[in-house]
Amino acid sequence: MIPQKSSIALIKKSYKITLDSIKHRPIVYVPFLIFAILETFSLIVLNFAPRQPLVVVFGPPIKTFLGERFLHYPAYFLLLPKLSALSRMVLSVIFGSFLTGAAINIIFDLYQKGQVKLGNSLQSALKKYAAFFLIYLLVTVLFYYSMKICASALLKYFMAGHTKLLFLSAKLWLGPLLICVNFVIAAFIQSLFIYALPILIIDKERLLGSIWKSMAMFKKLFVPTIILVAFPMLIYLPIILLNANSGFLMSKLFPEFMLIVTFAGIVLSSLVIDPLITISTTFLYLINKES
Amino acid sequence: MKRSVYCILAFCFATSLVGCANDQFAVEKEFWHLQKQAGKILTNPDATPTRELETAVNKFDTFVKKYPQNYLAIEAEFNIARLYLVKKEFSAARDRLSAIVKKHIKSAVVCSEAAFLTGNSYELANNWDLALQQYKKLIQDYAITPRGLSLPIYIAQQYQTKYQPDKMLEAYQEAITHYRELALKYPDSPLAFNAHFLVAKCYMVIKDWQNAVNSLRAMIEKYKGKVALDEVLMNIAVIYDRQLNDKVKAREALEQLKKDYPKSRLVKAATALLKNQGVK
Repeated sequence: MIPQKSSIALIKKSYKITLDSIKHRPIVYVPFLIFAILETFSLIVLNFAPRQPLVVVFGPPIKTFLGERFLHYPAYFLLLPKLSALSRMVLSVIFGSFLTGAAINIIFDLYQKGQVKLGNSLQSALKKYAAFFLIYLLVTVLFYYSMKICASALLKYFMAGHTKLLFLSAKLWLGPLLICVNFVIAAFIQSLFIYALPILIIDKERLLGSIWKSMAMFKKLFVPTIILVAFPMLIYLPIILLNANSGFLMSKLFPEFMLIVTFAGIVLSSLVIDPLITISTTFLYLINKES
Repeated sequence: MKRSVYCILAFCFATSLVGCANDQFAVEKEFWHLQKQAGKILTNPDATPTRELETAVNKFDTFVKKYPQNYLAIEAEFNIARLYLVKKEFSAARDRLSAIVKKHIKSAVVCSEAAFLTGNSYELANNWDLALQQYKKLIQDYAITPRGLSLPIYIAQQYQTKYQPDKMLEAYQEAITHYRELALKYPDSPLAFNAHFLVAKCYMVIKDWQNAVNSLRAMIEKYKGKVALDEVLMNIAVIYDRQLNDKVKAREALEQLKKDYPKSRLVKAATALLKNQGVK
C-alpha cells in the first residue's frame, strides 16, 4: 500500500487528467455515449413491453417469473427499474465490455501518442473481445450473486424469528442498511477487477494474468482505487433511494415517474459514473506504470 | 451511416406506433387516471363541488361507452354509484345500481355487489330497516356469491358496532342457521366447507367455545383426507389452550397438525405453542 499523502496526490492527478481529457478530447466519451444510446433503446423497448405487439414476446416470461399483475397498469412501472437493471447487466456483458475496451484503447493512445483514431481503437478492442466479455461476465455474476446471497441471508435471519442484528431492527437492515451493504459490495468487486482491462490492453497480458495482476494492483493502490471507484458511485444513491420508494412516488405523482427515474439512472450511470471510473482508473494505472 | 440513421428512425417510428396502440394496457391507464380523479372526491366528498362530481361521472360514463366489453367498464359503473353515495345523492346512486343489475343480470357476483351497495345507500341514509330488508333479499337471491356468503356476518357486525348485543346474538344465530342450510344444500362442495368454517367462526365471535370446537371437529371428520385441515386444527388448539384451558387436548390438536401436515406454514406456530406448554 502507498502512503496517504501520495494517495491523495494520485487521486487529484487522475481526476485532473480525466476532466482535461473529457474537456479537450471528447472522443474519449464516444464509447460511453454509444452505450447510453443502447441502454436508452432497451428502456424504450422495455417501456412498451406490456403493450401490443411486444407483450406477445415479453408477456409470458414476466407472467411466469414475476407475476401476472406486473403486466397491468400501473404495477408494471414498479417492475420497470428492475427490468432495466437486468437489461443493463446483459448489455454490459455483451456491449459494455467491448465499448469499455475501446475507451481504454482511446485513453492509452491519447496518453502515449496524443492522437486517436476511433476506428483503430474499436478494431483493437474487437480483437480482445472474448477476454473483455469473460471479465465482464465474471464481474456481473459475482456482483449479482453476492447481492442475492446477502439479501436472502438477512431475510432468512429475520424470518427465523430474530428481531435484531447488531442492535438494529429488521426494518433498518432490510431497508437502508441493505442498500449500503450492496453499495460496498459493488464498489469492492468493481475495484478488484478495475485494472483487468487496462492490463489486458496496455500490458498485453493474458486473461487470468490480467485478473490476478488487477487484484494485486488493487491491493497496492487500495485507497486511491476504492475512492476513484466508490466516489462516482455515490452519485447514483438518489436514484437508488427513489427506486426504493417507487410505490409511494407512483401514488403521489404518476406511475410514469418511474420511467423518468430509470432514464435519469441511465444518464447518470452511463454518462457520468462509468466514464469517470473507467477513465480515472486507467489514468491512475498509466501514472503508476510510468512512475 | 445513412443506413444506420434510417434504422434508428424506423425503430423510433415503430416504438411510437406501439405507444399509440389502444390495447388493454392503454385502457387500464385511462381508467387509472379516472380513478385517481374520483379518489379525490371519495376521500373528501364534502369539499367537492357538484360540478367536479358531474365531470367525474361524465368521464366514467364516456369510459363505459368507449369500452363496453372491458371488465373495467363494470368497475367504472360501480365507481359512479360510489361517487353518488359519498356525495349523499342516494336516489341517483340507487338508479345507477339498479341499471347495473339490469345490464349484468346474468352475473350473480356483479348483481350481488350492486345489491349490497344499494343496501349501503339505505344505511348511509340512516334507514336500517330498508337496508336490512335489502341485505336479507341479497342473502336469499345471491347466497353462494362471496358477498352473499359474508353478508350474514356483516349484519351481525353492524349490530355489534351499534352496541345492540341482543340483536347481534340473534343475527349470529341466524347466520349459523343460514350457513348450516347452505352446507346441507350444497354438500361435498367447496362452498359447504366454507359454510362449515363460517359456522365455527360465528360461534367463536359469540364466545360459544364448546360449540365452536364441536363444529371444527365435525369438519375434521367430514373432510379428513379431502382438504387441508391445518388451519382447523390450529383453531381447535388455540381454543382449547386459551379459552377452555384444556392443555392436553390443545397439545393433541397441535401434535396432530404437525403429524398430518408437516409442510404446513402453521407448523412453526404449532411448535412454538407446544414449546410454551413445555413439550419439546
